[in-house]
Amino acid sequence: MEQLTMYIPTISLSLIITSYLVIELRNLRYSAYAYMLQAVLMCSLFVAFANQNPGLYYWAITAFITKVVVIPYLLLRYIRRTTNREFPPLIGYLGSILLISVIVIIFYRLTHQYGEFIAPTPAASEEPFRTNLAVSLTIFVMGLYCILVRRDAIKTVHGLLILENGVHLSLVSLSPLLKETAIIGIVTDVVIAVYLLLYVIFGVYQKFGSTDTFQLKGLRW
Amino acid sequence: MNLEILYLFLIPALTGVLIFLVGKRSRLFAERSAVIGSALTFVVSCKILIQTTQGEILSLFREEFRVDALGGLIAGMVAFLGVIAVVYSLPYIRKETERGVIPRERFHSYYGWIMLFLASMLWASTTNNIILLWVIIEATTLASVILVAFYWNRDALEAGYKYAMLLTVGITFALFGCVLLYAGSSPHIPSGLDPLKITEIAKVAGKIPKSIALLSVVLLLAGFGTKAGIVPFHTWLPDAHAEAPTPVSALLSGVMIKVGVYAIIRTVLILYPFYPVISPLVLILGVITMIVGVLMMFFQEDMKRLLAFCSVVSIGFIIMGLGLGNYLGIYGALFHLVNHSLMKALAFFSFGGVIYATGSRRISELGGLGKVMPLTGLTFFVAALALGGIPLFNGFMSEFTLFLAGVKAGHAWATVIAVLVAILTLAAFIHASYNVFMGALPQNLSKKKITEVPPAMWGGMVILSLLCVVIGVFPQILYPLLYEATKAIFSMVAMP
Repeated sequence: MEQLTMYIPTISLSLIITSYLVIELRNLRYSAYAYMLQAVLMCSLFVAFANQNPGLYYWAITAFITKVVVIPYLLLRYIRRTTNREFPPLIGYLGSILLISVIVIIFYRLTHQYGEFIAPTPAASEEPFRTNLAVSLTIFVMGLYCILVRRDAIKTVHGLLILENGVHLSLVSLSPLLKETAIIGIVTDVVIAVYLLLYVIFGVYQKFGSTDTFQLKGLRW
Repeated sequence: MNLEILYLFLIPALTGVLIFLVGKRSRLFAERSAVIGSALTFVVSCKILIQTTQGEILSLFREEFRVDALGGLIAGMVAFLGVIAVVYSLPYIRKETERGVIPRERFHSYYGWIMLFLASMLWASTTNNIILLWVIIEATTLASVILVAFYWNRDALEAGYKYAMLLTVGITFALFGCVLLYAGSSPHIPSGLDPLKITEIAKVAGKIPKSIALLSVVLLLAGFGTKAGIVPFHTWLPDAHAEAPTPVSALLSGVMIKVGVYAIIRTVLILYPFYPVISPLVLILGVITMIVGVLMMFFQEDMKRLLAFCSVVSIGFIIMGLGLGNYLGIYGALFHLVNHSLMKALAFFSFGGVIYATGSRRISELGGLGKVMPLTGLTFFVAALALGGIPLFNGFMSEFTLFLAGVKAGHAWATVIAVLVAILTLAAFIHASYNVFMGALPQNLSKKKITEVPPAMWGGMVILSLLCVVIGVFPQILYPLLYEATKAIFSMVAMP
């Protein structure tokens, strides 16, 4: 376990890379696999932090069941029933990667530098929690970017999932002693939200013939 | 051990599950179960409301569940409008099914979801756990997603997608806010006490680091504000209110957005005494909300969207009252919260009668309905006059309380804006009501056989109309409820 603690920075960086993959892969199925990989990395990060706080082993189990098994199953099921290809976004590969990179660098530097403003306890502003907090908030912003910029409805669900992973990850620094029941409550909400969103998106696909959110313009003003 | 708290949300929740399991076989079973379940819930909520109005605080599982006068008031409103909405739905949903708007195989699921929706809102009003409060507020969204998209046509699906996505993303900000509040206060809570309890956090709210407290307020206002429909997080509201079946619109506008306000009261107001900058921020948000809401009312062709934007205006009034921060402001906010639940539900139910009879909701396609639907016309006018703030109707009394509170708190500018907004709201309602109920029947409607709605629909409308008038003439009848609820808020807030 001591060795795992050494890998915390590496896992954190890998989490940002997997967020890139989830956002940028145009094949929705591969994007779902990238999300699965991110979830596995998150579980390993929880285990690494569990060295200091054994309660996080339970967090890892909950995250594994919901984020590695249930959510990817739902995603892949609905991708199979709709379409594998993401509806082309307005910003191409290069532009999108550049844009996210700028956002990531600025946001990470800001949150890392001014960690004590967002750290509720002195321990949370110490390493490795400070880096974890900066990484989780950066992932949160990447998810928000995906939801705001992408026009494919299923891709926006991927964005929502990254955003939620950012929140989940931040809890390690913000409130590591949070009860397991609270974590189960939070992730249960996420699983149900994802299921209902995919269910509604499937209805959109049936009625509109695509998952392009730009077609959802009937209701304005 | 006050087990009635458990009954309050378990009765509708189990009824909902039962309807999903058995309701498909018999439409009658689904309807009867929903009526009995919501009626029983209403009885339990009345018992709780009576107890809490006498100053009693109910609790369960070492205060994991805690119902004070404010929780009792919200629970009472939810259960009251719940039973009216369920009874109203009986003819309404049957007719929609006969029209082919709702597929027969999905008929029972309407009642199943509506009972789960009621259960989630009731649960939210009873929890004392800050993380569970977030979980349940999100659950109220999840329980209503399918109801918003229930017609499963293009517009309903668009509204359903936006509703689920915007509220889920928005409320995530509130999760950060809740976690920061919990984490910032937990080092100061004596060991042996549960740091997740809102009542414990409130006691040490002054010790939370300033940056964390202010950041959490911003996040909570954005998160729970999305749920409440505060501008600029309100964009889901007109779509969802307009596209949902009318009884659901009445519940969304009547009580669901109030649950968002309730969450703001529980989490943001506890920091008021320590950071004077918060209340002006809330006040400005409230004023902006009412201005945007009233301006948007004038652009609406669809009556349900007009009513939805009117809800944005009313949320603006309520948030303004909370932002004033004084006793009269918070009392006025709660008064308007109760009144708005009654009058807006009445407006939706009355206009639902028009949709029931004509199948249309566009103002330009309607007219002269007052002659063929006199009762519906009358109840709609009561709602319109109450919402427009005319004296002798309940809306006037609470708006007037807020105007007075604004002047008393030294924010006369807010009062002036609020008065102007109230006048514009009335103007928008006069224009819309006249076009729908006065004049001559348009050609497209004169060929149809239009009659008054059945008693299951007008019964609830008449009860709500009477309440709007009685509270308008005798506002003191609500005083014990509102006084205890306001006292509950102030007693939870620790003073520096």
